[in-house]
Amino acid sequence: MELTLAQGIIKASALLGAGLCMGMGALGPGLGEGFVAGKACEGIARSPENASLITRTMLVGQAVSESTGIYSLVIALLLIFAVKI
Amino acid sequence: MIWGSELAKISAYLGAGICVGIGAVTTGIGSGIIAGEGSFGVVKQPKAQEQIFRTMLIGQAAAQTAGIFALVISMLLIYGIPYDAAGGWFKAAAYIAAGLAMGLGSVGPSLGAGYAGSQACKSIARMPKYGNSIMGNMLIGQALAQTSAIFALVVAFLLMYSVPNQPDNIVTGRIIIKSLAFIGAGLAIGFGTLGPGTGIGFVAGKASDMMGRYPNEKSKIMRTMFLGAAVSESTAIYSLVIAFLLIFAVK
Amino acid sequence: MAKKKNPILKICLIFFVIEIALVYLSGNFSRKLEIGFSDKKFVIRHIDSEFNLQDKISEEFQIDEYYAHHGEKPTLWGSSKLYDFFDRMPFDSTPVGTFQLLRMLLIVDILIMIIVILIRRFLTFKPGKPQILFEIIYGSLEEFVVETLGKDKVYYTPYIVTLFLFLWICNMIGLIPIPGFMEPTRNLNVPLGLGFLSVVIVHVSAIKFKGAWHHIQNYINPVKNPLFLLDIVGEISKVVSISFRLFGNILGGAIIILVVSSLVSFVVFPVGLSLFFGIFVGTIQAFVFTMLALTYIGVEIGE
Repeated sequence: MELTLAQGIIKASALLGAGLCMGMGALGPGLGEGFVAGKACEGIARSPENASLITRTMLVGQAVSESTGIYSLVIALLLIFAVKI
Repeated sequence: MIWGSELAKISAYLGAGICVGIGAVTTGIGSGIIAGEGSFGVVKQPKAQEQIFRTMLIGQAAAQTAGIFALVISMLLIYGIPYDAAGGWFKAAAYIAAGLAMGLGSVGPSLGAGYAGSQACKSIARMPKYGNSIMGNMLIGQALAQTSAIFALVVAFLLMYSVPNQPDNIVTGRIIIKSLAFIGAGLAIGFGTLGPGTGIGFVAGKASDMMGRYPNEKSKIMRTMFLGAAVSESTAIYSLVIAFLLIFAVK
Repeated sequence: MAKKKNPILKICLIFFVIEIALVYLSGNFSRKLEIGFSDKKFVIRHIDSEFNLQDKISEEFQIDEYYAHHGEKPTLWGSSKLYDFFDRMPFDSTPVGTFQLLRMLLIVDILIMIIVILIRRFLTFKPGKPQILFEIIYGSLEEFVVETLGKDKVYYTPYIVTLFLFLWICNMIGLIPIPGFMEPTRNLNVPLGLGFLSVVIVHVSAIKFKGAWHHIQNYINPVKNPLFLLDIVGEISKVVSISFRLFGNILGGAIIILVVSSLVSFVVFPVGLSLFFGIFVGTIQAFVFTMLALTYIGVEIGE
């Protein structure tokens, strides 16, 4: 398949963008989920009788804050596989 | 090619410098936080001086693990690579990307491990009686925080040792695509471990702190720490997947 | 009470002596010591070899590409009959990597069965050490199941315990220094299959307890759940994250042990590194996988 220089640059920048997108996109959710889990540890230590409730709340909260990470994953996958040249 | 075999050498040395340079920044900061909190703890509780000192040293050693990974990668980039004249731009980009991946990838974990260690020192100064369980919890938490650094290390090794040579008769567009894909993989895992590493360190620090305050709830706190840390790590794992795809699946 | 002597020092000393003897026998990088079965004979011999880290990594982790590139007959470590049998099967072909993975999985399965049968047969009221170990594992996991799912759903315990034991033995078996032994979890297919299985079990139990229509509505009805598309992607990402976590950790440990121990000439580091990456990380990751599989069920059907 013939490939011009311009097409190569388009695809290459899409791939670099995919890497940057996932890298930067993982930054916020990672920090936020860690904060949630840390606070959940504190809560379980303070009121251990509500342990299962706190664990469920922690997991649901983490799932919601992970959604931006999943957006980044979807965009990165699109940039890798769906950019046609 | 004008550059010949020098191209790979240039980029390998550049990558080695970037790697250990960025990696040393937060390794120093993390160890410093632990030392500061440990000194304050000795002032508050001079009786537990030896225990705090021991915890401080072990915590600093664990916080420097990611920095040592960066050191290993840069040593390998300087001494451990067969310089092949046929490597070309593929190898050049892969070496820089390996340096970026490990250098950036050690930033978050060492910061997180530093926070965990500092909270453990503080907690032991408050409750010297439960020092052993606090120190065990701190070590496990720091090991969890270092797992994302291990992901960065894996990507760096793959970039250094499993990237093919640049074939002859290749069009310029393909060279650009493949080279930038390698650099993208390095950046993805490098930045991607930053948030999870710090976040898991925060979890481990909070757990160590609470273990000193409520020592009876040890098993529940530890279990929540495991779960929370495992879920926080998932974005680092997405970065790992994207890096693998960029290295192996891009034609 | 007399003070007991600490056996750790003795064990460390034995390890050091064995390793230094091995290094002495193997000379240096230019010669390789080989201990194993070849042509139905037990051999210990030196091979002159040019040490190449890149070749070693690709031989260890991309075995099919390595043999395709080098074009030599692969060393199978003593079971060529089975390999030939697999090769004559009506499928396309049996590459070396797949064959080794299948062999390791078979070994792990047989090991688990032997352990379970032995423990079951010698069950007594005055337990010995192995029985105590397995009672601790079973008891603590049962406690977690009761805490997460409630007392009436304690019948999930055998599944959880089996998952934990399988993963634990998989992660530990790479420590046995027999040529050709590796952790089956180092291959992506094993964690991916287990992760897929655990998510399928989550949905099957949700359908069983909440009703099929009530559960499926969460993923197709935009009125009831406005973010239903995100939830579908989330389910897929659950499989990806749970399996790649295990895979990445075990693979990373294996690569680090290989590279660092070849750098320091196989003397001191492997003991400490295997202690950390093999035992510590292996146990923690098996535990984390199991707990996540349990908690995913708990989020769906917990009381």
